[in-house]
Amino acid sequence: MTILTGKAEARRRLQPDRLGVLRKIWEHRADYAYVLPAIAVMLIVIAYPIYYTIELSFFNTPPGLQLRDKIFVGIDNYTAILTSPVFWKVTSNTLIWTLGSTLISFVLGFACALALHRDFVGRGILRAILIIPWVISAVAASYIWKWIYHSDFGIIGAVLVGLGLTDRPPNFIDSVSTVLPSLIVVNIWREFPFAMIMMMAGLQTVPDQLLRAAKVDGANAWQRFWHVTFPHLRNVSTVTILLLAVANFNSFIIPWIMTGGGPSNASHIWITHIYELAFGRQRWGVASAYSVLLFLILMSLGYFYVRALSGNEQRGGGE
Amino acid sequence: MSAIAETVHRSQARSRARIDGWRWGGRVFLVFMLLYTALPMIWMLITSIKSGFAAMQFPPQWWPDQPTLASYQKLLDPQNSVGQDFLRFFWNSLFVSSATTILSVIVAVPAAYAFSRFTFPGRNFLFFAVLLRNMFPAVIFLVPLFILMRAIGLVNTHGSLVLTYLTFGLPLAIWLLKGFYDNIPVQLEQAARIDGATRFQAFFLIVMPLSAPGIIATAIYSFIGAWNEYIYAYTFLSKNEQLTLPVGIQRFFSENTTDFPGLMAASFMMSVPVVVLFLVLQRYFVRALTEGAVKH
Repeated sequence: MTILTGKAEARRRLQPDRLGVLRKIWEHRADYAYVLPAIAVMLIVIAYPIYYTIELSFFNTPPGLQLRDKIFVGIDNYTAILTSPVFWKVTSNTLIWTLGSTLISFVLGFACALALHRDFVGRGILRAILIIPWVISAVAASYIWKWIYHSDFGIIGAVLVGLGLTDRPPNFIDSVSTVLPSLIVVNIWREFPFAMIMMMAGLQTVPDQLLRAAKVDGANAWQRFWHVTFPHLRNVSTVTILLLAVANFNSFIIPWIMTGGGPSNASHIWITHIYELAFGRQRWGVASAYSVLLFLILMSLGYFYVRALSGNEQRGGGE
Repeated sequence: MSAIAETVHRSQARSRARIDGWRWGGRVFLVFMLLYTALPMIWMLITSIKSGFAAMQFPPQWWPDQPTLASYQKLLDPQNSVGQDFLRFFWNSLFVSSATTILSVIVAVPAAYAFSRFTFPGRNFLFFAVLLRNMFPAVIFLVPLFILMRAIGLVNTHGSLVLTYLTFGLPLAIWLLKGFYDNIPVQLEQAARIDGATRFQAFFLIVMPLSAPGIIATAIYSFIGAWNEYIYAYTFLSKNEQLTLPVGIQRFFSENTTDFPGLMAASFMMSVPVVVLFLVLQRYFVRALTEGAVKH
């Protein structure tokens, strides 16, 4: 018995490792046929652009994107970014935008999921209505809210004046101090339904027996939520928050259409700033350097995302 | 004895009161969220049936004195230039979204199946590489893709949009479908194999029909994503007759920024197809979306 396994062990060790991998790949060649089209598409439109962005970030390119005339400038684009005061303004905007939108969307979505978890008349309809903002286009949402915030004919301003709270309608998105919070309100309007859907699905997996047992033991509603429901939802919450954070960090349409980053950069976030640098001011090299920095930030976020996902998978498999 | 009964009774009453408090809090909260969600959409509809003059009044008319469908008629009338543009944008969006949907299903189905069933070297790496794509914003890919599209002559064609929409449609499509395939028992295929089917036949004749709900959900997701996409269309297309709705509406109304009723009517009509599609099929959709993140 022991001799046999010893022989097999020896035979396996004799085989060169690299050849083993190649043979394995060859043995599975039919499997790759299934994923090949997907991988090919991803290579052309993802791997190549990433490589090209990195290359371009070390060059200066004249306006009009005349690539033959590009000049190697080393890390000048990077130092230009880090020493520019706009960079810090835009970075702090991005942090406020991402954290504010993500946390409030998550809390509102989670609260809706909890409130909708119990069955009552009209629950299905209510859920459907609450999801709609997430489905309609961000462009439509931007125009709707631009109209609501309108400084002369906007409905919120009219209500505030009607209630006697102000003399004239406030400039929600035309004033440096209110523009970012006003845009965050629009963004949350579009995003909380996503958190709601995810958390509703998560709530369905919380075992009823645990909740009933906690009730028998005398736990009140808050204690049941805090000690039973919430710990059970830790994985879904992590994945939801990460997805929201990435989506918000990457959002473009709402700030771009509603304000274009203004007034005086007060609502510029990284993405809109990069777009303006590239396609507005034709500073392709600086825009590419920004993209590379963004890429590095997102890669580190991605690391946590993958970890959260694989943790989820393991737990799911164990159950 | 009576004292104990009284305490039990009192504590029950207290706990019922507390539960009712939570329930009432939940209801109040839901009403607030309903108003937050619905009022902007209602205001969009009310504005869309105002005349241009009625919309520009302060304080606003909560309900128009003379409701009119003029904005809708104008947008849907092939005789005037506004209607011609709008209908063409609508058609372009429909074409690009449908093409993207069909292609991403064709490419994603086999890939998702392979990720779910086979264990080939590099499987996990490839799966996460595919997923990671969705972490990156369109802007990172915009400059190089613009150069690439220019080099292969696809700028100012709908082909450039379909190709780029695949990149963000595919990862999610693969993820959604993999969740569905994971839930289809392998034994069904094994039985078919024993009966003499090839692996491809087992996949095509047994697994495909069972995963129809997942394929529908994936298709809706791709369609909505492509229908609502803005930044690539905004960058790649410049000719008026090629624009898709999100970009078309913007170009269109930046010339005439005071026509808010027209803008609201256009926003409404742009939202109708995706909202209807979503509401009809939301059951599949919500299930598919959450399947990957929440294991049952």
